[in-house]
Amino acid sequence: MERIIVNNLSKEFKIAPKKNQTFLAKIISLFLGREQKRNLKVLDNLTFNVKAGEILGIIGSNGCGKTTLLRIISDIYPLYGGSVKTNGKIVPVIGLGVGMSGRSTLRENIFLIGAYFGLSQREIKRKYNSIISFAELENFTEALLYQYSNGMIQKLAFSIVIHTEPDILLLDEVFAVGDEHFREKSAKKIKEFVKNGASVVFTSHELGLIEKFCDRVIWIDKGRIVKEGKPKEVIKAYKKVG
Amino acid sequence: MANIIHKTKSAFSLGLTMARIGFKLQNEDSWFGPLWYLLSPVLTFFLMLGIFQDRLGNSIPNYPAYLLLGIILFSYFQKIADSSVTSIRGSAGIIKSINFPKESLILSNLFSILISHILEIIILILFFIFFGVEIKMLIFYPTILLFLSIFAYGAGLILASVAVYFVDLGIVWGFLVRLIWLATPIFYSIEGQTRLGIINLFNPMYYFISVARDIIIYAKVPELWLIFGMIGYSLLFFVTGLFIFNKLKLRFAELI
Repeated sequence: MERIIVNNLSKEFKIAPKKNQTFLAKIISLFLGREQKRNLKVLDNLTFNVKAGEILGIIGSNGCGKTTLLRIISDIYPLYGGSVKTNGKIVPVIGLGVGMSGRSTLRENIFLIGAYFGLSQREIKRKYNSIISFAELENFTEALLYQYSNGMIQKLAFSIVIHTEPDILLLDEVFAVGDEHFREKSAKKIKEFVKNGASVVFTSHELGLIEKFCDRVIWIDKGRIVKEGKPKEVIKAYKKVG
Repeated sequence: MANIIHKTKSAFSLGLTMARIGFKLQNEDSWFGPLWYLLSPVLTFFLMLGIFQDRLGNSIPNYPAYLLLGIILFSYFQKIADSSVTSIRGSAGIIKSINFPKESLILSNLFSILISHILEIIILILFFIFFGVEIKMLIFYPTILLFLSIFAYGAGLILASVAVYFVDLGIVWGFLVRLIWLATPIFYSIEGQTRLGIINLFNPMYYFISVARDIIIYAKVPELWLIFGMIGYSLLFFVTGLFIFNKLKLRFAELI
């Protein structure tokens, strides 16, 4: 079963030379004519599929379109051209810990982020203990989040994500977080999802992680697919150029 | 249809969670915090009562109740509208990271302001008792508040989405809301003033405040056109707000 089908996907952003977002500027541009805008093509005619039970790695230099691609698959950005079909619950992880409230407790943050990911209050209540236990934060439930270390926040965010039971997990530069023990634990959990039929799209600059965990890799440059195939081959070709 | 119901439910659920956490955060989990919110309407009330009671209030029966009800209803709408202006841009990080129902950001504003409004209603009851106004007609207040909330939510959706496209909307809105405040008969009566009467036909707040005063303070049935105006404006803003927000929300993540 195909979890993600991407067909001739393109994406452009309109880049204005000057900021033109104030009322006054809009009125002036009405009289002086429209401000010239430049189209920046971020993704150009991408076509690929991701099967159930597959981990797809995406590599490429900064600004090549990796995050934009994940945002389009997860419907955060609208399509410009082509099509994206998905099959199952999508959970994007673009920046761990985003949306959390520093002056709130662990419990409040679990309910808040869980709700952002579409979990009902009842589901979150049911999974609450398991989330804390996976994040290994049983002794810190009374503390406010700003008192946590970055590693602890990442562990908490990751634990909430894996409890959303995704069919499609989109990981932007985060595959495993926290200390060595937790990294192994979270990688094991992701593999468990994949074994049960979920798909993972993982973008990263850590080529070692990509080679270790991915079944297939796509190398993107200037919005286009340069090479697609087995991790070793694609990474080798990428390293030659890079 | 099932999809729309599911989306509405999750927007409500997320809005409530955000409001609960936001409310606790604002008040550091204490019920003393919200007392500060009462300071502004109560001080405005006493200030205006002192200035206007002898000049404008003589011809208005039960002027203190007339003034306080107007202030509280307008401030409820204004707080929801003001917070909506910054709600999308203020949540840029999460909007760019997770696909969630953006309507919940406006709903959470509405819910948290509704919680603090309950305290304002308590103050209203105490003042009514103090000024000798019958409180039994306050039983109709929740119905008026429901329509005002629908209207404010619609207006909030419009302001929130337009603010993404115009970065200085907050400044323009600050000026506009002051104009609406002055044009609405909050501390004066428009009886006999034809021009102001015509202007207020296009001012939704005029209908909510007039209906509330007629029923709650003067215990009389408002004229039908006022009731239709109140219901009509709330539905018009609700539908228009949903339409504009749904059209514009597709590009929110790209523009913030």
